[in-house]
Amino acid sequence: MLSSLAKLLNALNSEVAPWQIALALCFALPVALTPFWGLHNLLILLVVLLVRCNISAFLFGLAVFSLLAMLIDPVSVRLGESLLSNPGLQDFWTGLYQNDFWRLMGFNHTLTLGGFVIAAMAFAPLFVLLRVLILQYRVKVMAWVNKLKIVQALKASKFYNIYQSLAG
Amino acid sequence: MFKWIRWSGLIGFVVVVGLLAAFLIFAAGPLARMAIESVGSSVAGAKVEVDDVDFTLSPVGFELGRLTVANSDKPMENLLEFESAAATVDLAPLLMGKGIIRDLSINGLQFSTARTESGALASDSGNDQQDAADDATEENSLADQLSGNLPSAEEILARENLYTQAAGEAFKETFDRRQQQLDDALAAVPDQQRLDEYQQQVKAITSGKITSLEDFNQRKQQLQALRDQFKADKKAVNTAKDLIGETRVEVTGRLQDLKDAPAKDIASIKDKYQLNATGAANLSGLLFGDEAGEWATQALFWYEKIKPYLASGSDEAEEEEYLRPDGRYVHFPTDDPWPEFLIRHTAMSASTSAGDLAITGTDLTHQQRVLGRPARIDIDGQGLRTVDALNANITLDHTRSPSRDTMTLDATGWQLDSVNLGLGDTQLERASADMQGMAQVVTNSDGDQLTARLEGQFGNTEFSSTGNTTFAKELTAALQTINSFDIDARANGALQSPSIEFGSNLDSQLSSAFNQRLKAQQDKLEARLQGKLDDKINEFAGPYADQLKALNNDDQKLTDKLAQLEDMGRAELDNYVDQQKQQAKEKAAEKAKDKLKSLF
Repeated sequence: MLSSLAKLLNALNSEVAPWQIALALCFALPVALTPFWGLHNLLILLVVLLVRCNISAFLFGLAVFSLLAMLIDPVSVRLGESLLSNPGLQDFWTGLYQNDFWRLMGFNHTLTLGGFVIAAMAFAPLFVLLRVLILQYRVKVMAWVNKLKIVQALKASKFYNIYQSLAG
Repeated sequence: MFKWIRWSGLIGFVVVVGLLAAFLIFAAGPLARMAIESVGSSVAGAKVEVDDVDFTLSPVGFELGRLTVANSDKPMENLLEFESAAATVDLAPLLMGKGIIRDLSINGLQFSTARTESGALASDSGNDQQDAADDATEENSLADQLSGNLPSAEEILARENLYTQAAGEAFKETFDRRQQQLDDALAAVPDQQRLDEYQQQVKAITSGKITSLEDFNQRKQQLQALRDQFKADKKAVNTAKDLIGETRVEVTGRLQDLKDAPAKDIASIKDKYQLNATGAANLSGLLFGDEAGEWATQALFWYEKIKPYLASGSDEAEEEEYLRPDGRYVHFPTDDPWPEFLIRHTAMSASTSAGDLAITGTDLTHQQRVLGRPARIDIDGQGLRTVDALNANITLDHTRSPSRDTMTLDATGWQLDSVNLGLGDTQLERASADMQGMAQVVTNSDGDQLTARLEGQFGNTEFSSTGNTTFAKELTAALQTINSFDIDARANGALQSPSIEFGSNLDSQLSSAFNQRLKAQQDKLEARLQGKLDDKINEFAGPYADQLKALNNDDQKLTDKLAQLEDMGRAELDNYVDQQKQQAKEKAAEKAKDKLKSLF
């Protein structure tokens, strides 16, 4: 966790594009909100690896959103249940169910569907929000933060050593 | 254009996924072997061993070597084994951890084969041999109960308290007592010599000329003395005659009782030993009871093995209503559902004592509600050694509640050979049978309810017996008159304890045959009993026959003596009066002559 946080800070303070960090965090959301061992997550991991988004941010986001998922899971399950049992969507689901790919995606699993729908709905707004926040951080917060005594103290700690080693 | 693509990430992904796949491909075989042996052993309750398991990529599937499943009840025997098997699996469901076997072919399937080492699990070291011995004892119980319960005539006579014996002893006692009384009475009766003496004495008294009054009086006194003696003798004779009469009535009564006793004995013995067709009623139930029981036990054994893995519809319905935090899969109508485990189609050839059977199975799964179709097993045998055609269909329908498991059986031209009937060492030597059966188990809130029916037509039947008991001989003799029969068996009620009914025209045929056999045997036995009882009569009455004859002769002699005595008594008196009258006449005539002479 410390390592991930250090990497994230490194990324935030580096020349990494804000969209790369924001996109990685957004990709972490569906992985965290749905059951981990699923083919859909393998595809998301492939995308994360393929696209030049920040992997450190992805791992950090995965850890943070997994904690958040413990609170959201019941909501995700209820959402998935209501969607899958919605009479108006039965034909749609039944159509998807005939296809092996979608069944492998586990769309008919209540938690998977509910968590994925929440993540998908939050993806775009979250991406924009995070990108703005990262930009604002770099402009206004980073210099101020570096001056804080607590940060000065951290710089003398083990955490800073890790950070330094990663920063090269 | 591809500036945003991280090629190293793609390569890393492919490498990692490839390594994982390679690991799974190489580990799949050993993992599958471990799973089969571990899960199989816990299911079978005995060792499940497989030689090797290989994972194949094209087509995706597994190849199994020799597999053995030990019998938990008989550790030195395999429940089943097969030489090899090949399964092709659907890849997509496998990626989701679902074992969907598209096709499973099993070669060299055999049942009840011997093992070289015990197949018992370490925790199951029970007293199997003791159990086997107990089973053997139970199997023999029916035969033991029924064999030899018809004793011979000698055994019956030795065992029973016979009326004939009692009547014979009563006759003997009566005769001996009366004989003593008669001997005493006859001793008082004058014998022939004495009667002759009486005759001579009477003649001496009455013959000759009475010389004087004194002579007359003397003779009169002698005659009176004889008459008194005659009177006493007559009384003795009458007493003897009365005694003979009483003896004759009493002894005749006892003799009649003795003669009636054998019939009473036979009636009593018949009643006690039930030498009638009643004992043969429902014998077909007894004939097929053990065999049918064994079949039912085998069927139940396999059914109980399978049933726990057939989830009922009600359980799944409950699961559906329960909202779990981990979520659940919602299934939709499809032609290709994915339960956790499914064998879409399987074909195997099984070697049995009757020949090879072709067994096919479709839609075998423990989640029939997901699949939406019942499991079906078809067993087909053509040109078997003992059966012309055998067809069995098993449908396990747990797609809804209550679940229904149905089996139908159709066998034609079943050549039965040396079937032990378990009765008096009797065998159904050969027969040709057609059988049709149906069994259904419905599982609801009341438990497992069985409805089963089996109809069979047996023809060209031949029975034999190696038994030496009377029962076995009689049963065989009765069965040998039967060339064909039908059976109709029904079982209804709770699966573990159904009420079983056996109906058959064998009952009526056997009853009729038994009636004839028993009638003949009964007549023979009755004749033997009658002969034995006649011997007993002779034993009692024989020695007295002459004496009874002598008794009748004595009676006749006494009657003659009585008449003789009476005649003798009357004869002397008449002669004496006549003589006195004659003398008086002669005197009167002489007096008259003298008077007339004096007048002239």
